[in-house]
Amino acid sequence: MKRLLTGVSLAAMLLTGTAQAETTLQLVEVITSPQRTEVLEGMIAKFEEANPDVTVEVTSLPWGQAFEKLATMVQGGQIPDVVEMPDRWLSLYANNDQLVDLASYMEGWPDAGELNDRALQYGSYVADTMYMVPYGFYLRAMFWNKKLFAEAGLDGPPETMDDFMAASEAISALDGKSGYCLRGGSGGANGYVMMMANMMGHDDYFDANGNSSINSPEAIQGLQFLVDLYQKGYVPKDSVNWGFNEIVAGFYSGTCAMLDQDPDALIAIAERMDAEDFAVAPMPLGPAGKSFPTIGYAGWAMFAASEAKDEAAALIGHLSSRESNLEWAKFVGVIPIHQGAEQDPAFTGPQFEGWFTEMNDDRWKPTVMPTYLEEFAYFADVMAVQGGQELLLGERTAEDVANEWATYLGDAQKKWLAAQ
Amino acid sequence: MARSPIGGGATSPDVTVDARSPRGAEHRSPRLGVLLEPYYYLSPALILIALVMFVPLVVGLSYAFQNIAILNPFKTGFIGLANFETLLFKDKVFWRSLVNTVWWTTGSLGFQFFLGLGLALLLNRPFAGRRVVQAIVFLPWAVPTFLSGLTFAWLFNPVIGPFPHWMAALGMLSEPYNILGDPGLAMWGPIIANVWFGIPFFAITLLAALQAIPKELYEAAAIDGATAWQGFIKVTLPFLAPMIAITVLLRTIWISNFADLVVVMTGGGPANSTQILPSYIFTTAYKKLDFGYASAIATALLLLLFLYAAILIQMRKRLPDTT
Amino acid sequence: MSAAVPAMPGSLLRMLGHRAAILLYVSFALFPLFWLIKIAVTPDRLLYSEGVRLWPSATTWANFDFVLLKSDFPAFFSNSMTVSFGTAIAVTLIASGAGYAFSRFHFGGKAAVVAIMLLTQMFPLVMLIAPIYRLMTPLGLTDSLAGLIIVYTAFNVPFATFLMQSFFDGIPKELEESAMIDGCTRFSALWRVIFPLTLPGMAATLGFVFTAAWSELLFALMLINSEEKMTFAVGLLTFVSKFSVDWGQMMAAAVLALIPACLFFAFIQRYLVQGLTAGAIKG
Repeated sequence: MKRLLTGVSLAAMLLTGTAQAETTLQLVEVITSPQRTEVLEGMIAKFEEANPDVTVEVTSLPWGQAFEKLATMVQGGQIPDVVEMPDRWLSLYANNDQLVDLASYMEGWPDAGELNDRALQYGSYVADTMYMVPYGFYLRAMFWNKKLFAEAGLDGPPETMDDFMAASEAISALDGKSGYCLRGGSGGANGYVMMMANMMGHDDYFDANGNSSINSPEAIQGLQFLVDLYQKGYVPKDSVNWGFNEIVAGFYSGTCAMLDQDPDALIAIAERMDAEDFAVAPMPLGPAGKSFPTIGYAGWAMFAASEAKDEAAALIGHLSSRESNLEWAKFVGVIPIHQGAEQDPAFTGPQFEGWFTEMNDDRWKPTVMPTYLEEFAYFADVMAVQGGQELLLGERTAEDVANEWATYLGDAQKKWLAAQ
Repeated sequence: MARSPIGGGATSPDVTVDARSPRGAEHRSPRLGVLLEPYYYLSPALILIALVMFVPLVVGLSYAFQNIAILNPFKTGFIGLANFETLLFKDKVFWRSLVNTVWWTTGSLGFQFFLGLGLALLLNRPFAGRRVVQAIVFLPWAVPTFLSGLTFAWLFNPVIGPFPHWMAALGMLSEPYNILGDPGLAMWGPIIANVWFGIPFFAITLLAALQAIPKELYEAAAIDGATAWQGFIKVTLPFLAPMIAITVLLRTIWISNFADLVVVMTGGGPANSTQILPSYIFTTAYKKLDFGYASAIATALLLLLFLYAAILIQMRKRLPDTT
Repeated sequence: MSAAVPAMPGSLLRMLGHRAAILLYVSFALFPLFWLIKIAVTPDRLLYSEGVRLWPSATTWANFDFVLLKSDFPAFFSNSMTVSFGTAIAVTLIASGAGYAFSRFHFGGKAAVVAIMLLTQMFPLVMLIAPIYRLMTPLGLTDSLAGLIIVYTAFNVPFATFLMQSFFDGIPKELEESAMIDGCTRFSALWRVIFPLTLPGMAATLGFVFTAAWSELLFALMLINSEEKMTFAVGLLTFVSKFSVDWGQMMAAAVLALIPACLFFAFIQRYLVQGLTAGAIKG
């Protein structure tokens, strides 16, 4: 039945394909907003001008449901040519043989030689194959509310984890305010990982045998740090359920004074707060004098089922050209992918200081979470959130949760190692 | 006379048209034709339901016995009852969701039924402006549930919504905070939104049943010296019973399958305290992409609802007929 | 509920209690809708910064302006209209047939068919998405309003059948039977005699199904990909981006979308009550 359906749909696709001399590419974007779509379509229009017999149709999926929508489309046989691929989905699609190795196509691209090391490294994060070309990097830094800090008698952002705890305590003493905008709901995995890595002093999540290090005593201290923040009341009580929108709203409404976020949050916050009222500092240092802000990325990938691979590759090449990418990165709020591009004035201003320090000072080491593991998406979306909530609410101990996580990730890692 | 529409229909003592009736004289269709006649009227419905619901359901349920890797159809394999084994013996979230579903269903149903009944009783007496009032109080049913879920989530958020402050003022909360973040109280959020949505359903159906009750019966009861309460018990309730039976059955099934409000307001959290079976199915299928396991959970839910309906229908049959 | 008695203090108290209770119900029903409207007219910058207020310090029509003039909402709106009306009409026709059959006929498979209809209500619809998607892809029914109408129709037929059966029960069988004695076929008896009498019932079913189709989100989200075919429900989700939620605009769109649904439902709800009552009496 399956093969019959696949056969019928393939036949249908082929029939419609040969009837046209022109090529139509389907591009799916998943991190969608009306403004982004506009900019994207502008960039694509330039591509269409340069390639008159190629038309690009853009499908925009609402971000909240994009994961399941894309999966439904793919399993149903409606597979686009080019897709916006977040780092966390990459291993899932790549390991199921859905994506194309872009390395051979890159030679034809205008600025491929100028991609910086990070772009090349993270694009080939899964199986050392360039399954995607990143369009930018998200790096965590600490937003802090200058007014609240001044009110609490603090003279600057926290430099160490101890400062972080002390600052939270001081600000929570103010009426109706809290120190930190904790993300206990969806997307909270980054916070847990960063705190654990900071306390461990390293970001080797696994040893050579595939055992996870996140249930080591130091990592458990990292978890306990967040639990203490919650249970001592230094974070808002309902932050146990807060997702992206709530923590950002909590910050710009002045409810909580510190927020760890990526440059894209800067855009949303700058619209609602005056520039003198906040600043961005590098993440606090752990006891080993080092800090590990998480780095994430998204980019463009090509589906193996594409009927127009050359054209699709050319489109990705165009979107990844120096000029297009800089425009995109500035608009979207990510760190661009070409060598030297972050020297652009947009990225060297005072508001970008926190990220600039993190990228250039050795004490900060941007850490990538093990997204090459297929199981990681479930860990980040479900296990980390649920376990984290049980932890914050006191239903389970940090040790218990860390052990559960370490087992799940360790098993995944061992499976991955065995398959190498 | 009120009677249950389920399996009921035209059970009046009138002559039904069948092959032996003299009324069918002018078109002496062969027996088969007459026997098939109801099916002519039923066939569009049956065909549509078979194609769009049953065939996909069978396909969907078959996933429960397989290990489905949805993005890679070639990795799929038959694994027999393994999913069910995990479900029953190793998955504590499943059992928690099951308990939560019971609370969710009884809580939602209880409140919306009694409040709906109350509204129906109130609307059963004529008063100035009744038409307008009736139109207004039934409005919640027309509001998409994801919208009402969002709105109620706003209302429960102490930063911008009034509910926590009112609850604190009434002494229900020690201080205004968001109950949606409190595992002990979070379930009440979706329940209240569901009650708001569901009152019109019961109000409409029970009002209709109330209006069908002959007024003479109340007058007779009053003459016999019955109080209003006795009138309610002896006259109203028996007439309402069939409508109550079917609406409660239907609404229970609908509520048990209803994930929208939970997904929108709490996402099943915090810590699975509001996770109900339908939302658990959704998460497993679309966040974990484990269609096999999700299908196993769905099968379990289907079986439970089937059992529930069967029990209720049996009970209904055994009760003395009130008409 | 008691027989008419001369006005006395007791009944005055009862009347006041009655009105007070009605007032509570009306407030409860309207308050969330009022809140929706309030958010729609609140300017973005005031939304989180003013705390809890019953009405913002400044209101704006900008959100409505954006939704009506600068977004794709008019298109989403008309798609929803097409799908909801299409579904409502299809369901009413099909359910009338089925409801009539249940109302008039006694036949062997009746209990089984009723059981099947009840069974469909128990299906966790989430599980049907993937199989339906796969079955519809080769037929070209995905990403099409027609496909959505077909799916919605199937989902709504069972309950609509129950409604139509009730309405038919309210019409005495003798009517079409005497028409048939006079020489009509059953079908033409239906058309000429019964159909005009069921118009209120059909209007009620139309309204009920329209509301259900109008509100549906999950299948619209999964089955429709192209932006020009989205229904308003999916359109509302596009206001939720990764970085911010344009609450004001979203609620403005929601208010606009609620107007037809609420008006239609407010109009037909009394036919629902009437029809169900008649069905209950004459049965």
